Amino acid sequence: MIRLTAVDMPQAFRYMGMAADPDETMRRLAAECEKRLLASILPRYVHLVCPIRQTEQGVLCEGTTLLLTGADIAAHLSGCDRAAVLCATLSSGADAAIRQAGAADVLAGMMTDAMASALTEQLCDAAEAEILAGLPGLHPTWRFSPGYGDLPLTVQGDLLRTVNAEKRLGVTLSDSGMLIPSKTVTAVIGLSARPVPKGKRGCAVCNMNQTCPYRAKGVHCA
Amino acid sequence: MTELFKRHPFLFLDGGMGTMLQAEGLLLGGVPELWNIERPETITAIHRAYVEAGAHVVYANTFGCNRLKMARTGHTVEELIPAAIRNARASGAAYVALDIGPIGQMLEPTGILKFEEAYDIFREEIEAGADADLIVFETMSDLLEVRAGVLAAQEHGGGKPVLVTMSFEETGRTFTGCSVASMALTLEGLGVDAIGVNCSLGPEELVPIVEELCRWTTLPVIVKPNAGLPDPVTNTYNFTPERFGTCMRTFAEMGAVIFGGCCGTTPAHIRAMTQVLSGMQSAERHPEIPSAVCTANRVVTITEPRIIGERINPTGKKRFKQALIEHDLDYILGQAIQQIDAGADILDVNVGLPEINETEMMTLAVRAIQGITDTPLQLDTTDPQALEAGLRIYNGKPIVNSVNGEEESLNTVLPLVRRYGAAVVGLTLDKNGIPKTAEGRFAIAERILNRALSLGIRREDVYIDCLTLTASAEQEGVMQTLHALHRVREELGLHTVLGVSNISFGLPDRELVNRNFLTMALYAGLDLPIINPNVESMTAAVRTYKLLANIDKNAVDFIAHYGTAPAPAPKPQSTSMTLEAAISAGLKSEAGTLTQALLETTEPMAIVNDQLIPALDKAGAAFEQGKIFLPQLISAASAAQSAFEAIKSHLTATSSETVDRGTIVLATVKGDIHDIGKNIVKILLENYGYRVIDLGKDVPYEDVADATEKYHAPLVGLSALMTTTLPSMEGTIRLLHERCPWCRTVVGGAVLTADYAEKIGADFYARDAKETVDIAKQVFGN
Repeated sequence: MIRLTAVDMPQAFRYMGMAADPDETMRRLAAECEKRLLASILPRYVHLVCPIRQTEQGVLCEGTTLLLTGADIAAHLSGCDRAAVLCATLSSGADAAIRQAGAADVLAGMMTDAMASALTEQLCDAAEAEILAGLPGLHPTWRFSPGYGDLPLTVQGDLLRTVNAEKRLGVTLSDSGMLIPSKTVTAVIGLSARPVPKGKRGCAVCNMNQTCPYRAKGVHCA
Repeated sequence: MTELFKRHPFLFLDGGMGTMLQAEGLLLGGVPELWNIERPETITAIHRAYVEAGAHVVYANTFGCNRLKMARTGHTVEELIPAAIRNARASGAAYVALDIGPIGQMLEPTGILKFEEAYDIFREEIEAGADADLIVFETMSDLLEVRAGVLAAQEHGGGKPVLVTMSFEETGRTFTGCSVASMALTLEGLGVDAIGVNCSLGPEELVPIVEELCRWTTLPVIVKPNAGLPDPVTNTYNFTPERFGTCMRTFAEMGAVIFGGCCGTTPAHIRAMTQVLSGMQSAERHPEIPSAVCTANRVVTITEPRIIGERINPTGKKRFKQALIEHDLDYILGQAIQQIDAGADILDVNVGLPEINETEMMTLAVRAIQGITDTPLQLDTTDPQALEAGLRIYNGKPIVNSVNGEEESLNTVLPLVRRYGAAVVGLTLDKNGIPKTAEGRFAIAERILNRALSLGIRREDVYIDCLTLTASAEQEGVMQTLHALHRVREELGLHTVLGVSNISFGLPDRELVNRNFLTMALYAGLDLPIINPNVESMTAAVRTYKLLANIDKNAVDFIAHYGTAPAPAPKPQSTSMTLEAAISAGLKSEAGTLTQALLETTEPMAIVNDQLIPALDKAGAAFEQGKIFLPQLISAASAAQSAFEAIKSHLTATSSETVDRGTIVLATVKGDIHDIGKNIVKILLENYGYRVIDLGKDVPYEDVADATEKYHAPLVGLSALMTTTLPSMEGTIRLLHERCPWCRTVVGGAVLTADYAEKIGADFYARDAKETVDIAKQVFGN
């Protein structure tokens, strides 16, 4: 079980669009939000490692109903004979903490939301490290999520069922394609016995690339 | 259920179904329910293997068989559930259970599924499963979803026994935070037939959880663990049948009586289990369950004085009445949060007002308050319909305020208390009014208690209010109240409630009178003072009493509250601080105090136009120039909001005038629940004096058009965060064009662009909250 004991604060403040150092009042509010958030989350992940096969329809995860369609995921997984399918969530406690903070104070709500986003990334990093530690000798690609490039968001349902995310994590998918609890990430990590060109999670596959405030300033988010 | 137990000392359930289906070739992610019609023999064979292993009850293969999950299969619930029950019946099992798992969509407020819709989804499953012998809900995580299911089962299940098992993590809580005690209090109250745990953990990890459950319920306890824990790489479970069977003995020794297996268990596990348990008797249990109320995530035991906050009540409060009439839930939520922060353990909720539909408002208020806090509620109404509406959707076990000694009240209120498993406040009055003497009130208390007991309401769930009379009018009555209270506590052994503040009506220094009366009442045996917890001396009196009465052991709580020196007096410079400076520094309480002072000398609208708005304009300009950032802009807006609240209260109290530069409807579109951006826009618009009708998140197209029509709003703001919800934005705009051609639309959200906004027919695209204000100024010409 992964324990998250602190929020990556610089990252959280960046998510809030804060390009300067926060002052004392804001840091105090942030510390309070962090304490409440950490007390109400239940960080969890599930994953499945399966052989993959490139087919005409897309990349098939064998032994499952999961078919990953589109040119970008095919390119991402080229050279990999296996993949880890991952779902990680902070649980609905994060949503409750955001609602609670926001009801008292809009700024606290926004801070808690940004911190929860940062924690979700921290959880994914920790989950990935734990998964890879159990797979010595394998080389990973970076985490590729539905919605990146031309891998459609509609694959979420099959992905969640494949790892039994509802039963094992309480993660659900709304009709409109939202993962609920909201601080949830799904991803596919390619695995290969040979080192794979790691590439970089670049702007090209990001669905924010038209509206990204960082790009507008000529910089990157991460 | 009693009949089931006559036949067996224990009731044995089956083991895993998914595990067996995968062994037969079901792909991960495949739909098990389809096998009911595609491979019925396989399903029956699996059931039969469990029957041969000793299971009395088999769960039909219907776990996920609801209309939402089956939609993509092209098959209906009405087709698959009867087939599943036939397959189960063909195994020769003694009993066949309709097995119902979670819907697969989360309920509001975290998700978007409505309680009523959840109820209807369950109703459909239950009606399709009419041929089953019992109804089982399993692997549940959300207590509110369970409540919807149980109500549907009891109201459409033809009287079949209803069993519920929830899945707990090693923290003792479900994924949604529901505790074991909350589940037990709520479901035993609702009248289910047996409760327990399944899935998530193996038998060893479940030991403390089942122990806890046995302490909190008198119902038969069910234990249906996984076969240990899953191996993260192979996804197989690590308990052999023998080890699984041996572990189950522990639960029988705790007093559990219904046993089965979940993920990873096979007929071999069930056989081992039945062999270990055969010949054993379950331990007898006599749990002493304390008086308690709860929400899904928090239990408040009435084992010591607990403060009931009285502020959510419009009586004598103009500002509150206005909030109710305007459906301003944020104001009510503000009252809730303030009282909880001040020390309230339970909140009284009274939203009755002749001008409004109380039933609708009770539902809205309970839902909204439960969305942002886990403090239990006391539903305070004289309208039985509003009461039932509140009880139906309340997540947990609430208090009903109140019943009294009149026949009509006893006959209407107590059955609702019993039906929904609430606790109840009994007022010691009847058709003859409030008896003058302690004896008279005691007699009514006794009558209420006896009626409650005869309906099956537990003694621990009846709290008596001996009624505070005002000392100025009926001075001799004060001690009568306390004598009656003492007798109810000592002779009937019931907990007591008292609204305290009424004592001082018409007297000077009311706080002094209230505080002393409160202390006297606590000493006489008051458990549940209904007070204004925001008055520090009242809350302090309760804390002090707990210290002196040896309840707050070692003064831990007392020292935590009063052990540090009081905060230093406000900095002297704040007296010379301007409102503008307070706003730009984001100082909320200073902004409020300064505004109150200004109101003594300055016209409210002059404050708004000459000070508030210029301060906000300055912050907005600094934000646009990149000198300050979004958190600082919001911080300034929050400070301006508290200034505004002071002005609003002043206006409500002194005139019929309101600050109104124009009405704007705001909504996060249908299907989308990300509303932080919208909330930021809202606070800024309100700061500029616009009246914002906030429809919330996941708002149907029609609701946006309805509100725009109702308020004839010239501007509608829509937000969406997801690419998948942009079509909802387009649909909403299309409907607005049809029904409200006068209105203009402004849209925003992370994935939107100006081009896309134009394409879907929006009049304006706002990059951020500040730009929305600029657009509003343009539209309203102010």
